[in-house]
Parts: sequence; C-alpha cells; structure tokens
Amino acid sequence: MNNLGFSEEQRDCLQEIINVAMGLASDKLARFLNTFVHLQVPSIALVGAMHIPEEFENRYQDAEAALVSQGFFGNEGVRGEAIVLYQMENAHKISALLGYEAGDVSEIEMLTDISSILTTTFLNGLADQIENSLSYSAPRILSSRHGNVADVLKNTSFHWEHALKVDISYQLIDHSFNCDMILLIPGEAVSNIKNILDRILEAY
Amino acid sequence: MALPVLICDDSILARKQVRKSLPESFDAEFQTAGNGLEALAVLRSQEIGLVFLDLTMPELDGVGVLEAIKAEGIDCFVIVISADIQPEMQKRVMELGALAFVQKPVNEDKIIGVLKQYGFI
Repeated sequence: MNNLGFSEEQRDCLQEIINVAMGLASDKLARFLNTFVHLQVPSIALVGAMHIPEEFENRYQDAEAALVSQGFFGNEGVRGEAIVLYQMENAHKISALLGYEAGDVSEIEMLTDISSILTTTFLNGLADQIENSLSYSAPRILSSRHGNVADVLKNTSFHWEHALKVDISYQLIDHSFNCDMILLIPGEAVSNIKNILDRILEAY
Repeated sequence: MALPVLICDDSILARKQVRKSLPESFDAEFQTAGNGLEALAVLRSQEIGLVFLDLTMPELDGVGVLEAIKAEGIDCFVIVISADIQPEMQKRVMELGALAFVQKPVNEDKIIGVLKQYGFI
C-alpha cells in the first residue's frame, strides 16, 4: 500500500474509523434494498490523485461503468469529492432486485440514490467519529458510458492532490455487488487527517 | 479471582477502545486476538470466561468463531462488538449464543451497561 507517510498506528486507526462508517452505510443499503449485506474488511489506500485514473483503468476498461460524484464540505477545512464507481453489470443486478428494467432511465436515478445513501451515510459516520459535520452537494452522474472511466477520472481528479481509495465490496444474499469509493481530497486535508488520527490515538 | 478475558478484533485501536472502556472494578486478566483463528486457538487451549468479539475480520470472522464455539461446546460468554449493525446480523449472533450485541465504536457507558446487565460487575 502506498501510504504517503501514514504510520502503521495511523493506518490502523483510519481503517477502524472507516470500518465503523462502512457498517453504518451497509445497514442503510440493506434497508434500502431490503436484503442482508455481507460485510468485508474494506481495503484502504491513500494515493496521489494523479494516479487514480491508472489505478482504475484496468478494472473498468472492458466494462460498462457508471460514476457518481458528490462534493462534501466540513469544518476545519475538511472538503473533497466522493466518487462511487460501479460496473453496470453489477448495477443491473441491483436494479433487478428493485424491479427496474436494465437500461431504464430510472436505473440511473437508482444509482444516484444508492450512491447518495452510501456516500452521505459513510461520510457522516466518518465525520461523527472525528467530531466534524459535513454538508453535501447534490450527487451527479459523471458517466455511464462505455470505456471512458479513465478519462472521466482524469478530468475529475485533476483538481485534487490526494485521494483516499476505499475498495468496498458488498455481497448481498444471492447477489454479489461491488463498487469502489474514491474520496478526492486537497493536500492540506492529509495533514489534517493525520493530526486528527494522532489526537484519537493519544486518547488511547 | 480475576476473570480470564479475550478481546478479539483485527484493529489495534478497537482492542484498546474496549480495554479503555472497562471500569477499574472489573477484575480481569486480558488476552488479545487479531482474528477469529487466533481467538479459537486461545479458546481451545485455555479457559476463557468472557470474549469481546468483533465480527468483520480477516481469516475467520466473528460469526465463524461463534459457530465453532457452539459446535465444539466451548464454555464462555461472548459479547459481540461490531460495526455491522444490521438487525439480521444482530439476530444471527444472538441465535448463535452471543450474550449481547454492542455497536461500535464502544465507550464506557455501553460497556459498563452491558457488564452490569449480565452481572460481571
């Protein structure tokens, strides 16, 4: 893992905070889809934002993908952009579960809804634990077309220095559904995050 | 006599959070495990009175540990401490014999409440 100078203790601390936030997001997702979600330990990495397109190019190059983005703003200069990436094949499974037709216009709305649930629940859970509070811009679809994931990511991540990459895998009963969440954050946010983690670690 | 207690969580921070939430009056001897397999190794070789058990873990998860405890008839109380708060998961661990379910992150109020409820303090 490229850790950009996170100590092992800081990484462990961030991982646990993310686990708790993920648990909240999964619970919301399970209620929304009326199913049970099997949780896995998410893998996290902090990388340079410029490396983001290449990180995801391979995984998504042959697949029809959808990207949904949502900006967030908090206290103490905490801000960024959360992107959720889906392979449409996965999205179709979910829409079938909810009774949508594949390719339906409302399927895109469904993805926007799911992304918003995941992003805001996850980030609120994260913010609560670091004693911050966030507000959000409306989610927007960046792309749902074939083969241009890297380009879209390039255009979006261009404005940011760092990215917290969270690989999320939700397994539903009878279905498997994977998505990736990327939190794009400005450079100063990384040292803010480290300070916050150190503050939490000091308390224990 | 001090109660032998096992704290099982893959996160060092989470293990410390449990430890720090326990009151002074709780007379216990602590051991830790970083995943379910490590926990079972301890449980199979030693008498453990109480386990604080995480669910989402690598190698073997908490549900796997509860299943093994039940199948092998290991005698211990288990308090699940997890971020996986889905009602169905809470129901599942209780059915597998867990004493209580505590939502992460833990704090003194939550831990003391559950320890008092079941007469550990």
